[in-house]
Amino acid sequence: MRRETQNILLVLLGGALLKISFSGLYLRYVQKGLLPLLIAAGVIMIGLALFAIIRDIRRGKAVEDDGHSHSSRSTWLMLLPVLAVFLISPPALGGDVVSSAADTNQTQRSRNLLGDLPSGDVIPLSMTEFVTRTAWDESGTLDNRRVKLTGFLTRADGDTFVARLAISCCAADARPLKVKLVGDVPSLPNDQWVEVTGQVVPKSASEKNSWVPSFTVESSTPVAEPVEPYES
Amino acid sequence: MTITGEIRSSKRRSGPPRLKITSLEVLCGILVLALLFQSRLVDLLDVPKLRTASTVFVAICVQAMPFLVLGVLISGAIAAFVPASVLRKLLPSKTALAVPVAGVAGVALPGCECASVPVARRLMQQGVAPAVALTFLLAAPAVNPIVLVATAVAFNDTPMMVVARFVGSLLTAMVMGWLWVRFGKAEWIAERALARLHDHPGTNKWAVFAESARHDLVDAGGFLVLGGLFAAAFKTFVPVAWMQTLGGQLVLGVLVMAFLAVILALCSEADAFVAVAFSALPLLPRLVFLVVGPAVDVKLIALQAGAFGKSFAFRFAPATFVVAILCAVATGVVLL
Repeated sequence: MRRETQNILLVLLGGALLKISFSGLYLRYVQKGLLPLLIAAGVIMIGLALFAIIRDIRRGKAVEDDGHSHSSRSTWLMLLPVLAVFLISPPALGGDVVSSAADTNQTQRSRNLLGDLPSGDVIPLSMTEFVTRTAWDESGTLDNRRVKLTGFLTRADGDTFVARLAISCCAADARPLKVKLVGDVPSLPNDQWVEVTGQVVPKSASEKNSWVPSFTVESSTPVAEPVEPYES
Repeated sequence: MTITGEIRSSKRRSGPPRLKITSLEVLCGILVLALLFQSRLVDLLDVPKLRTASTVFVAICVQAMPFLVLGVLISGAIAAFVPASVLRKLLPSKTALAVPVAGVAGVALPGCECASVPVARRLMQQGVAPAVALTFLLAAPAVNPIVLVATAVAFNDTPMMVVARFVGSLLTAMVMGWLWVRFGKAEWIAERALARLHDHPGTNKWAVFAESARHDLVDAGGFLVLGGLFAAAFKTFVPVAWMQTLGGQLVLGVLVMAFLAVILALCSEADAFVAVAFSALPLLPRLVFLVVGPAVDVKLIALQAGAFGKSFAFRFAPATFVVAILCAVATGVVLL
């Protein structure tokens, strides 16, 4: 591949990184904390390419690449993420991952998470905190409290669940969190994002049902997919 | 523009000289076609499995790129500012002694495996013994502080896991280094990997830095994408949940988790969170997952094949796989 083509590919790839960084779409793929690194990587890629381009223009010819000009054809593959980002812009992971993942709510005991719940009539909780409390908190702090959860709908074996994915680095390591809905179950299509308000069915999460708690829905509203689709 | 470079790289020698198609025209052609058929492409990918695979693919690439960039910057800096003589002075002259030094030096590279491949190759080009550079390559992604802290956070109930991971990974890296001293052959490594960049006399050091970094980035970027493609395909189409149930037996569990570590190609900063989630498994197979993952996975094999050549990667990766399992099991039996 010619040096000029390599430089254009670098500019495109760096541009793709900057595009998803500034449009906020990066949250579909990676965790929030990566943003500064993504921007830096995009800027450096473009910078390295521009440096080479300007150097070539000044010399009036491409610098002979020290016997490395036979650079492998694999470099072409760098076009794939560019096309994927600019043309397809893959959506955030959804129900497909939940139904194909092990049906276990994968939580860990965390000492500092199990403090007191905030006061108030309706408590918005992350799915991570809700599921962790139902699995680990034996004192029943959630019982008789009205909670609001945000996630997407998914169905399996006739049951309806509200689910959300948690990531620690990128979407490749997404872990599903599920809550089984009972009561006034919304009849919206799968993968529709909802806010559900209601109460946990006390002691409904057990090892037998893979720590999936049941949740009595009192009301539910369809919402748009949040900017940050994953919990971390 | 030099014509020789064009012919060599474009492989389209046959056409008459006036109509020469270079990679530049090919690139433009692809871009135009992609734009024309955009909606067709999007429709084609509108199957849940493919959608998931494409998201995971972009996620792996996006996640790894900053670390690859970090790696090529360090590599470029070594090329420009660290003369080979300094490296020779820093390392013990006996290779067998330099191996553990390189392993411990891995602590200083805060990144995942994508960063360490270009750095290791640059070290070789600067005259560091291959065994030493390879030990650094294996140790750096697994024993650096960021990874250890992430492991400690994930396994906050079992702090011994952090110690076991550190020891197991360092042991793997050093054993591989010593094995290379004893059995390794220089001709397995592609010639181009070891070819030193010519120092143009009078070239500005910063120019050397930028050119080396750019060159490494272009070289490794494609292979990173290739690894991402494989990992996304495996992640989407291999029934991970089903494999997890196989892990009930200890021996089978160790093998299954080692295999999963290779095909999932998780970043070493995230794999602990995935390992802790395999809560049905005993600790030992999960330790194997953490030790094998940063040392050998599809993304890394692709990067190594790109940096050092296929005949290297296809010997080194299986050997590392076996050594990593053995080291992890030995460490786990003693420490966990």
